[in-house]
Amino acid sequence: MSRSIRKNFRGLRALLMMGPDSNRDTLQRTLEKLGLGVVVAGPQTCLSSYSGQFDVLFFDADDGAFLSQDGSDSLEAASIAVVGSEAPSRLAHVVRCRAASHILKPVRSSGVFTALLLADNEHAFRKRQQQEMLGLRRRLAGRRIVTKAVLDLIRTSGLSEDEAYEWLRREAMGHRIPMEDMARISLGLAPEDEQVQRHATRPD
Amino acid sequence: MHAGALLAIGEVNAQQDGPVTIIPVEIDPAGELASYVSGARDLLQAQSLRHVIGCYTSSSRKEVLPLFEKSDALLWYPSHYEGFETSENTIYTGAAPNQHIVPLARHLLQNFGSRGWMVGSNYIWAWENNRILREAIAAAGGSVLGERYFALGETDLEQVVEQIVTDRPDFVFTTLIGESGSEFLGLLRRAARAAGIEQPREMPAASCSLSEAELPLLGESAAGNLSSSVYFSTIDTPENRRFCALWDARFGHLGKASADAESAYVAVHLLARAAEKAGSGGFDEVRAAVRGLGFEAPQGQVRVDPENLHCWMRPRIGRSRSDGTFEILVEYPAAVRPDPYLTWSNEDAAASRPALRVVK
Repeated sequence: MSRSIRKNFRGLRALLMMGPDSNRDTLQRTLEKLGLGVVVAGPQTCLSSYSGQFDVLFFDADDGAFLSQDGSDSLEAASIAVVGSEAPSRLAHVVRCRAASHILKPVRSSGVFTALLLADNEHAFRKRQQQEMLGLRRRLAGRRIVTKAVLDLIRTSGLSEDEAYEWLRREAMGHRIPMEDMARISLGLAPEDEQVQRHATRPD
Repeated sequence: MHAGALLAIGEVNAQQDGPVTIIPVEIDPAGELASYVSGARDLLQAQSLRHVIGCYTSSSRKEVLPLFEKSDALLWYPSHYEGFETSENTIYTGAAPNQHIVPLARHLLQNFGSRGWMVGSNYIWAWENNRILREAIAAAGGSVLGERYFALGETDLEQVVEQIVTDRPDFVFTTLIGESGSEFLGLLRRAARAAGIEQPREMPAASCSLSEAELPLLGESAAGNLSSSVYFSTIDTPENRRFCALWDARFGHLGKASADAESAYVAVHLLARAAEKAGSGGFDEVRAAVRGLGFEAPQGQVRVDPENLHCWMRPRIGRSRSDGTFEILVEYPAAVRPDPYLTWSNEDAAASRPALRVVK
């Protein structure tokens, strides 16, 4: 399915972690023209104190302060690097921060919209991918329980493998629950107990 | 454009003991991108000028903008364009997309239907306008029957015209420019007539760039085409009557006054007023003075948006007549704020029905 891209950023909140200079001024002005709410924080600010308060982060890649802060969840907000020096040590930080796009200094009004559009769409894509990955992981982990339930149905109800699987699928759909939960129910296990157990015994 | 600017310069300089005198230095890049760069370098660096009025295509503007930024100079850009730019070194006196294509999309969908055909010259102006119209059509639940692009200047258009007449859309949107544009309108009119279609009423051709300057070149297909513009020579204001009289006397051989001429005229007057207000011709001073500045233009009051340096103007839709002018069908009651990134305009509102969005 082809998704249409996001191209209107009205109402998004931007956090600017940059020192006061003309680059920051130009960036702030341009973002405001694009309808974003802008909060300016110095480059030394602790990012976690702004947690959940912004949708897109602009950080000065030439300033090491933000970059040394670990533990910032790169999926919380799209991040855009404002790059001056192209020295590999600086750019390595940009890579580690998983910047979704960048703007070159000196910041001009042209280029800001492109960087924002790329970062926002790339970020949305990464988030969808992560959701998908979590879903797949969950299904993978539940695979054993489904097999177990199918075997149990074959043994106790005399169904064929296909019939047993189909029965589980239909019941799960009817109850609007995942196959794995249905398998647990059919085995007479409480879903919560199983969840705890599964987490405890997961190999990774 | 050149003529419109000259008229305004004449007026500014004619003021006895006026506070501002403009001495024009002219260069003609003849549409060559490289000449725009060398020309701008000459004007800005060798001659140290701070204000330049000009550029028609977006590509020429994009080409010279870095020079203006480097030299602390202002480009007064007198053309409607596709938006998605807000340079701090440009004063945009032509219409932004929410002032040309968005009102036209609304008009077409409300009055003619939602089955459209799009033909354009192969460049950014056409792509972006078609993108906006396509989304408006989709939001109205309509369909784009065809979309075709041609190289600039292409006149071999019989095939696409034949296809359009066969498809019989509710309207045809054209962003073909220059010779391609006039050739297309003629071919479409004749092919439609041969098929028994009264084209201006049943399948109108609409555009955001057709102006009084092109109508004399269209011959018998001059009448009955729709155009979206902030200026038509038929606007009834005292300022416009005066402007048109001046124009006809001096440049009548070029056709009636057009949007490009008027917006160049507006640009010069805004520059003169800003310089007068600032008491200086300097870059910073004039730019600060022009923010929020208003001018009683031929089209009505024009005001520079303090934030994005585009102009507040009233969208209008006109239908061309055989005498080389437009009958004004739609006129917004008040000036519309320029929205170059379409941040505040609800593009879907152009749809004739309430836009129901599919959430999933």
